[in-house]
Amino acid sequence: MVKTIFEDIKNSIKGVEIKEISYAERGYHLAVEANKGNLLNIVGLLDKKGFYIADMCCVDYVEYLEVVYLFNNHHNLCRIKVTLKVDPERPVAPTISHIYKMAHWYEREIHEFFGVYFEGHNKLIYLFLHDGIDFYPLRKQRVPVPAEDMKLLNSFKPREEEDEFFVNLGPQHPSTHGVLRVVVKMNGEYVVSAEPVLGYLHRMHEKMAENRTYQQFLPNPARMDYPGALIFNLAHVAAVEKLCGIEVPERAQYIRTITCELNRVASHLLWIGAFLADLGGLTPFLYAFDDRENILDILEAVTGSRLTYCYFRFGGLYNDVDDNFVSETKKFVKRMRERLVMYEKLITKNVIFINRVKGIGIIKQDMVPKYGCSGPTIRSTGIPFDMRTHEPYAAYDKIDFEIPTGAVGDNMDRYMVRMREMAICLDIVEKAIAKLPSGPINAEKIPKKLKPPKGDLYHAVESTRGETGVYIVSDESDKPYRMRWRVPSFSNLMTFPALAEGSLIADAIATMGSFDLVIPEIDR
Amino acid sequence: MNELKCIINIIGEETTRAIIGLVGVMILVVVNALILTWAERKVAGHMQRRIAAKEVGPFGLIQPIADSLKLLCKELITPQHVERPLFYLAPTLIFLPVLVSFVVIPFDSYLQVKDINVGILVILAFSSLSVLSILIAGWGSNNKYSLIGSVRSVAQNIAYEIPLLLSLLPVIIITQSLSLRDIVEAQKGLWFVVYQPFAFLIFFTASVAETNRTPFDLPEAESELVAGFHTEYSGMRFALFFLAEYTNIFIVSAIATTFFLGGYNGPILPGIVWFLIKTYFLVFVILWMRWTFPRVRFDQLLNLAWKILIPVALANLIVTGGILKL
Repeated sequence: MVKTIFEDIKNSIKGVEIKEISYAERGYHLAVEANKGNLLNIVGLLDKKGFYIADMCCVDYVEYLEVVYLFNNHHNLCRIKVTLKVDPERPVAPTISHIYKMAHWYEREIHEFFGVYFEGHNKLIYLFLHDGIDFYPLRKQRVPVPAEDMKLLNSFKPREEEDEFFVNLGPQHPSTHGVLRVVVKMNGEYVVSAEPVLGYLHRMHEKMAENRTYQQFLPNPARMDYPGALIFNLAHVAAVEKLCGIEVPERAQYIRTITCELNRVASHLLWIGAFLADLGGLTPFLYAFDDRENILDILEAVTGSRLTYCYFRFGGLYNDVDDNFVSETKKFVKRMRERLVMYEKLITKNVIFINRVKGIGIIKQDMVPKYGCSGPTIRSTGIPFDMRTHEPYAAYDKIDFEIPTGAVGDNMDRYMVRMREMAICLDIVEKAIAKLPSGPINAEKIPKKLKPPKGDLYHAVESTRGETGVYIVSDESDKPYRMRWRVPSFSNLMTFPALAEGSLIADAIATMGSFDLVIPEIDR
Repeated sequence: MNELKCIINIIGEETTRAIIGLVGVMILVVVNALILTWAERKVAGHMQRRIAAKEVGPFGLIQPIADSLKLLCKELITPQHVERPLFYLAPTLIFLPVLVSFVVIPFDSYLQVKDINVGILVILAFSSLSVLSILIAGWGSNNKYSLIGSVRSVAQNIAYEIPLLLSLLPVIIITQSLSLRDIVEAQKGLWFVVYQPFAFLIFFTASVAETNRTPFDLPEAESELVAGFHTEYSGMRFALFFLAEYTNIFIVSAIATTFFLGGYNGPILPGIVWFLIKTYFLVFVILWMRWTFPRVRFDQLLNLAWKILIPVALANLIVTGGILKL
């Protein structure tokens, strides 16, 4: 795969600089240096080859700004980094939002944080920041926002038309589970268009990372994705370990796997409750919380916290698990299997529920690469794409498990994929516990001050909502030069306007519920 | 005793009966709402594996009184943009038809405010008035959620009024009377639910929809419309909507009991006890449904009424009429 793409790009695009990179060190296979002239050709070629847009970000190297596009393939691991250098004095880049829909939002994000203009972008207004900021926050030097750009702040003003009206779902609304705002244009009960407005929970974790050492940033990822905090914790830790070349002991890898899977079950349980509450059934919420409580108790005993875990350390863990953890986990797995049967009876076979979710909010397979959505959202369309098998980390390569997939890509499939995933998580936990080796849980000789070698790295894990990637640029200091978080809910949410269009408001809300959105993660 | 008789003579027996009846009905409405708020919390709690209210009074029985005191003490907030006369009118208006419906319900063979020979028509006529006040509330609130909620409510009520009526007609055909007492008396032997199981099911479904309860609670669908038509109401005005909702639940259960479950008929225990047992059993079923089912979608709701309930009710009516004619 890597070889053929390498040849393809080299042959079809003249004068392009393309390099093969050591995947083990950098987390991507090919680095392509594009210029304004051939960027669209390269991206167009990747689009034709079925690559999806994994991430897009920008790094300020002071002499120049570098826009980074990361592409990957759903079926064969082949990550390609395309970079484009732009002049910091007058940063202009061509848009790729007409090729990849998701770039629409990424470009808006880069524009507001770095001041890069994307020529041809049809709506280059602010995405996260709304008012009260007059410089580009992620630039290394203070660059004031030009006067005409100040108008773009807070520039989202929907205008009413005859026979149609706007309803704000959020930022305070029962259906959005947090502070997401979706401006829905409605015609009677039907949604004409839906436009998410982000930034109500924006805390600039990426800027925070630049101001702290790698250790000091440890608690932050848990605040991004509170229901699946351990996995975000792992994403950060594993990326830094890979960058520094730290070997993690096997026991720690297994414990990471077990705790992450328990966390995944807890997160999915929270989702079931919230999803059914969106559909008007309030009782499953409390049933799910009952089970979730068990997991939280188990995890509390080893990690010390119940929600925003900070359990993993560079090279190992904070704490070893004991026999009590093992027996409690086994007990929970047994109990949860019975409870899954009960959920099946209570929810899955309910006629009203089936009628509400079947055939609603269909994501087609050809939509997926354009948005780069991941997690249960993509698996529901039938593509068995899961970072745990796609690019195994921790101990996932030593454990056999299947990836549940759907067929249609509707809300029912997303529900079924998550339900089956919970059962499979329990299997993984059981198998991992059976194989749990003894030994140390921390790597030896981890320096107090981590100073990774110069360079960049992309590392992705499968969080409960999909591909969670960390792109780190290191400058040999103890603080990251740039840390970019690729979060799954962000790209999953982007599909929402397309799915909501023309549906009933009740269906749109069911679809939004089926994504399992976590707003702090989207806003970062 | 003589003085009492004297007063009755002066103001007339009918008026006295009406006054006593109205006072009784008021007490019943309030007590019923208190019981139902407590029952709803308890039923919900136990279905959701928690204990529910237990601190105030034994088994939390005083909790509803504490709640209503809290609501009474709350400031009545009137948002600036509302249509004031309509906004004030709606909570009062929703409560009145509910009271009238009680007049004709026979709680026991002697316990009835007034036996009107078109009793069921009175109930149906007045209960359909409540949709008017919901519409007024939604319009007067000048809020998009409220308006959508009230418009949904109107569509829903129009759709479900028809199967509601159609399901009662077979019973009326059998008894040849519109008076509720006659209907109950006709069930001294077998209850009509045995003759008319479909009619009973249709009536029950339609009445759950009429009272805006889950799975048909679209006018106040909280995940879509925040709180629907009563989004902007607070304090006692909100409590009046609540009171009306609980009283409506009681009324539809009482009508179902009267029409299909033999009303106050039953062995050993006094009639009123049987009546309350049957009614509160149906109330419990409605609460049970609320805490088990998710909400249906708007088009599914209307399809159910127009495509299933109405044709089945009509067929049932024709079959019943045909059999009786033979």
